[in-house]
Amino acid sequence: MRYTTVIKEMNVLFSGQVMVVSEKAIVIQAIPIAGGLFQESLAEDIKENIKEVEKAVPVLFMTPIRFEEMIQLVPVNFSMGIPVEDWQLIIGPTPLKGGVGHFPTNESNHEVVIGASLADQYNWTVGKEIMVNGHKLNVTGVLDTKLALLNRCILMPLRLAQEIYSKSRSVNIISVKPVQGCSQEELADAIEQQVEYVNALTEDERNDMIQPVLAQVETWNISIQTVIFIMSLILVMTVTIMSISERRRDFATLDAIGAPLSYVFRLVILETALIGVLGGILGIAFGSLAALVLSSLYTNIPLAQFFPSIFEIVPPIYMLEIFLSVVVVCCVGGIIPAIDATRMRIAEVLKAEY
Amino acid sequence: MKIKAVDLTRTYRVGPSKITAVDKVDFEVNKATLTAIVGPSGSGKSTLLNLLGLNDYPTSGKIFIDNTDTSLLSGRKRRKIRLFRMGFVFQTFNLLPTLTALENVELPMSLAGKSQKEQREKAVRLLENVGLGDRLYHRPKELSIGEMQRVAIARALANDSEVIIADEPTGELDSKTAKEIIGLLFDINRERKTTVIIATHDEKIVEVADTLYTLIDGKLRLEH
Repeated sequence: MRYTTVIKEMNVLFSGQVMVVSEKAIVIQAIPIAGGLFQESLAEDIKENIKEVEKAVPVLFMTPIRFEEMIQLVPVNFSMGIPVEDWQLIIGPTPLKGGVGHFPTNESNHEVVIGASLADQYNWTVGKEIMVNGHKLNVTGVLDTKLALLNRCILMPLRLAQEIYSKSRSVNIISVKPVQGCSQEELADAIEQQVEYVNALTEDERNDMIQPVLAQVETWNISIQTVIFIMSLILVMTVTIMSISERRRDFATLDAIGAPLSYVFRLVILETALIGVLGGILGIAFGSLAALVLSSLYTNIPLAQFFPSIFEIVPPIYMLEIFLSVVVVCCVGGIIPAIDATRMRIAEVLKAEY
Repeated sequence: MKIKAVDLTRTYRVGPSKITAVDKVDFEVNKATLTAIVGPSGSGKSTLLNLLGLNDYPTSGKIFIDNTDTSLLSGRKRRKIRLFRMGFVFQTFNLLPTLTALENVELPMSLAGKSQKEQREKAVRLLENVGLGDRLYHRPKELSIGEMQRVAIARALANDSEVIIADEPTGELDSKTAKEIIGLLFDINRERKTTVIIATHDEKIVEVADTLYTLIDGKLRLEH
């Protein structure tokens, strides 16, 4: 859930802009996660040669796998190198936390601002010296943002990013803003005609690129849910049949004293529904905790940092869906045992006992 | 309640063989009488009581309750007769283990749709009548077997049953407790004018019964 949130946020960051990436890059919503570097000077060429361009900003986006000497199983920390004068185009009016510190200047060759989540995790404060890829950097501010991507990001001047990642004069994204009245599609077509080895992706194209992946994830989710639903149904049914079988004398007694069949049926369904309610509550509690623990294990982010965002990882609507599913599974699973319970007759039970 | 059985037969199939538990029995119980059916184990006493209590269906023959042919009744109507007009006492008590003595006695009244207040008042009174006024909130496992059978008798009286059908009610009890239980059933029969049908081995019941039958190999014989 957190990763799909991050993926969706990528378009928030580059909203209204065409993203230019190398044809060879592996991209998620225009964010290159592998390969695809090109010369920074391409941004200038695009600006000069294509009249539909108002601004072209070169960006170096890196996903370090070794960070603070810890190897991350999945990339959760990002570095973004942006020319200082163009920062606002990328991060918008994002302020610094508490108004403390300042954004790095063009002259700076060791200053960075960091996301709040990173700051909390590593106890980094303004003025703190940190190590990234063997380079000592100074934290000059903490970003005050709710975007998960920026929260886990180290923002630095483009030159500094190129230096510490040894990507001299190279970038992997050019964020291009169209002139007034020009659509993203027109601009993208113009760029692709001018430059052969790049893809110019509009906001819609970026969404379309990720849609099959999200759809596949959804399909997998539904498949897994269906299998779990059927297995749970069988399990609930088996356990309830065993439980009814152990109490066959009680149900037969109810029949002997004249209890209506509907009463016996409701009794069993109510029992399984109550088990469902309890199971649902416990399942959500333990399941959510497990989701947090797994997220923490995979990302090396301390568990405590996930608690405030528990409703992002397991949204309330999911919790409600899970709860209702469990209750429904238990009720449906109780139907056959309930019918079985209504068929218990004292004569047969006593005959079997004696 | 008057119960009459005509040419009543119940057979079972056990593997390839056929067992006749009740064999062409003619039987009649009049209102407010105490009837005892005696016979050795396996003679068919429980089967006969299950048939009379509408808990089982005969293979052939008929049972009439107040001249109504019960074979014509639907399952729902048979259940209603059991709930409102009959009370059952089993050898093994058959109390619901998760309910207290009070709740066990309240159960038939609850099923009959009586108010909570009425259920509570009557259940307390019935349990006091059977000498368990101080055991209201005990669960079956916290009661002695004699006390459990008293609770079962109180439960059988909950809906003012016209007939109590007791299958070996003293079978699990020591002689002193058995005597108390027999006395209790006798008092209920005499004071409430409740018809009582008891299947038993117990000699003491034989002494107090208005009518005595013996049942051997499914065949019933009137003794007195």
